[in-house]
Amino acid sequence: MTEPPSPVAARSERSLDELTASRLTLDDLVDRSALREMAGSFYELFQIQLMIYSEEGILLSAVAEQPELYAYLNEFSAPREALVELARRVRAIDPRPADVTEHCITGAVYQVFGLDYDNRQIGRLILGPFRSPERREVDPKLVELEPSLDPEQLKALFARLPLATTETVALIARHLKGALDLILFSGHKALLTTNMHLASVRDSFRELQEKNAKLQEAYNRLKELDRLKSNFLATVSHELRTPLTSIIGYSEMLSEGIAGEMNAEQREFVTTIHEKGEQLLELIMGLLDLSKLESGTMSLHKREVDVAELLDDVTSTLQPTARRKGVQLTSSVGAGLPTLWADPERLRQVLLNLSENAIKFTPEGGTVELSAAASFMDVDAGEGDADGMVLFTTKRPAMSLVVADTGIGISEHEKARVFDAFYQVDGSSTREAGGTGLGLSIVKRLVDAHDGRVEIQDNSPCGTRFVVTVPRRRASISG
Amino acid sequence: MQLDFAARELTVKLVYYGPALSGKTTNLQALHRASDADSSGRLMTLDTRDDRTLFFDLLPLTFKGSGGLAVRLKVFTVPGQVIHASTRRLVVQGADGVAFIADSQESEAQSNAESFMDLKGNLKAHGLMLRQMPLIIQFNKRDLPSVRSDEEIAQLAAKGREPVYLAVATRGEGVVESFIGLLHLTMSHLNAEHDLAGKFGLNIPGLLEEVNRKLGGRQPVAEVLAASVGGALDVLRGEEA
Repeated sequence: MTEPPSPVAARSERSLDELTASRLTLDDLVDRSALREMAGSFYELFQIQLMIYSEEGILLSAVAEQPELYAYLNEFSAPREALVELARRVRAIDPRPADVTEHCITGAVYQVFGLDYDNRQIGRLILGPFRSPERREVDPKLVELEPSLDPEQLKALFARLPLATTETVALIARHLKGALDLILFSGHKALLTTNMHLASVRDSFRELQEKNAKLQEAYNRLKELDRLKSNFLATVSHELRTPLTSIIGYSEMLSEGIAGEMNAEQREFVTTIHEKGEQLLELIMGLLDLSKLESGTMSLHKREVDVAELLDDVTSTLQPTARRKGVQLTSSVGAGLPTLWADPERLRQVLLNLSENAIKFTPEGGTVELSAAASFMDVDAGEGDADGMVLFTTKRPAMSLVVADTGIGISEHEKARVFDAFYQVDGSSTREAGGTGLGLSIVKRLVDAHDGRVEIQDNSPCGTRFVVTVPRRRASISG
Repeated sequence: MQLDFAARELTVKLVYYGPALSGKTTNLQALHRASDADSSGRLMTLDTRDDRTLFFDLLPLTFKGSGGLAVRLKVFTVPGQVIHASTRRLVVQGADGVAFIADSQESEAQSNAESFMDLKGNLKAHGLMLRQMPLIIQFNKRDLPSVRSDEEIAQLAAKGREPVYLAVATRGEGVVESFIGLLHLTMSHLNAEHDLAGKFGLNIPGLLEEVNRKLGGRQPVAEVLAASVGGALDVLRGEEA
C-alpha cells in the first residue's frame, strides 16, 4: 500500500495503478458510439428497447424511438408524471444480487440486469417496456388515473408493444452480456497495452534524459578544462617571454662587445645563446598566438591589402633563408589583381609560415613559388548535407594565395592531420627538419579567422601546393 | 496491494518471474484451468507481435474471504526474454509477492541465476529489497531428463530463506502448491505490515482454505504448505508467536 518513494515509482505510478488496481468503468472500456450501434442492432433484432447505464449512473446508450403508447401517454399530465416517476425509479434500481423486474403503470414490464466485469458490477442493462403473455390488456388503473384517455386507442397501442416472456428477455440479456463481456475484455486488454506502452516509453525517456544529463555534465567539464588550458598557455607564454627578452638583449650586447672584447670562442658561445634565445622566443610567440586564436581573443585589423606588395614582402624576407638552402624562391602575380579586405599582418604570417615550411622541405635545387589569383568560393548556407546545394550556395569573390614547392610532398592520410597543433609528419626525435609543429596549425586558425580555407594539393611532378582562399570583400557587401 | 475501504476489497499483486521458457505462462494456464469459473476471470495474454517490447500475462482471481474482506488477486507473468527489460521493470512494480519459476534442467542454471539477479535489480529500481519481498522458488520441468536432482535441490533449499517447490507445470503438478505457498507468504507479510486481520478482520487461514478449495486442492492447506522444501521458517515461527 505504501511504497517506499523512489524516482522511478513516482513517475510511472499512475499508469501502474491503472494497470493493477483496475477500478474500471464501463466508459473506460467501450466506445460510446460503437455501443450505441450495437444496442441499435439489438433493437432491430428483438424490437425491445435497451438502455445501458454505467455504474456511475451515466446513460451510455438508449434507443431514441419512443413506443407509440408512451408518446400518447405523454400528452396527458398525470400519466406523464407517473412515467417520469417510473423512469426515475427504474434508473435507481440496483440489480444486486438478482435481476429485478419492474411493472409500469401501463402493465408493461421492465427488466434490469447487472453488467459485471472482472467480478465487479460496472453497469446496468434495462430492457423494456415489453408486455408479458399473461397481460393482454392495459392496466385498468391507467384510465382511473386519467379518465380522458381513449380506451380503444390504449388497447391498440398496448398491443403494439413487443411481446415476450421474462424468461426470454433474461435469455436475451444473458447473450447480450456475453457479447458485451467479450467487448469489455478486448477493451481492457487494449487499455492495458496502451498504459504499458506509455509507461514503457516514459521509462525509456527517463533513461535517455539521465544519460543526456550525464553527457552534458561531462561536456561542460571538458569545456571548462579546455578554457583553463588556454588560459594557462597564455599566462605561461607571457611569463616565459619576459625573462627571455633579457637573455636575448644581454647576449646580443655581449656579442656586440659592449661589455668588452671577447675571444672567438666566447663570441661563438654568446652568439649561440642569442640564436637559441631567438628560437625559443619564436616558439613562445607561436604558442601565445595559438592560445589567443583558440580562446578567440585575437582580433583582426582588416583593411585593403595589395596582394602583390604582400607577396614581394614575404619573398624578400625569406630570400636569405632560401639562398642558404639553395632553393629558388619566386613570386608571380597577374596584372590587375584586385585588392583584398584582410588583416595584412596576419596574412603575412600565413604566407611566411607556409613559405618557410616549403623551403624547409624542399631539397637543394628545388623551387618554391608564391602566386595569387582572383577566384570564387562557395558560401555554404550552413546546411551540412548536399541536398538542394544549388539553392543554398552562392559564389563569393575570393582571392587564392598559393605556395607551391617541389619538396617531398605530403601523403594522403597526413593531409588531414598536418593542421593539428604540435603534429609533425616526422615525429621522431632524430628528424632532419626543425620546428615546433605549430606553424600550420596557426596558419589554419588565422585563415579560419578570415572565413577562408586552406587546401593541400599535390604539385606536379612532385611537391605540395598550399592553397589559401579568403573572401575578397567584406561580408556585408559580399555577393 | 490496494485496499478499497468502501467496497471492503483487498487487491494483491503477485508476479511470476523467471528466465525465458521456464514455464511462467504454463503455471498461469494451469491455475486458470484449476480454478472454478466464479473465482477466475479470463487469462489475458498481451502479446503485441510487431512490437516486442510488450509481453505479459494477467490472471485475475477473486475470493470472498471469510473475514468480510474480499480478496482480488492479480497474477502477472513477466516476459523472460532479455530484450523485454522495460516490461519486466514495469510489471514488477508494486508487486506484493514474487514466484520465481526456475528451469530444472542443468543447462539452464546460468539463465536462472541471471534472471534472479535481474529481478533483484528491477526491484531495487523501485526502491524494494529482494530480502523484504515475499518470495517462493519453483523448480519446474521435473519430468525432463538431465535435471538437477531432488537431493541437490533439497540440500540447497535448506540453506536458503525461500520455500522451494518442485513442479511439472504442463501437467499441473506443484502449480497450486506453489501458488498457495506464495499467497501464504504474501498475506502473512502484508498482515504483518498493515495488520489486516486486526483492522479488517481478514482471516488468512480461512482465505487459504477457500483458495485451495476453489483451485481444486484435495489436500488440506497445512499439507500443501509442507510440500515445500526449506525456507520460510522465520515466517511460520512469526505466526506461531
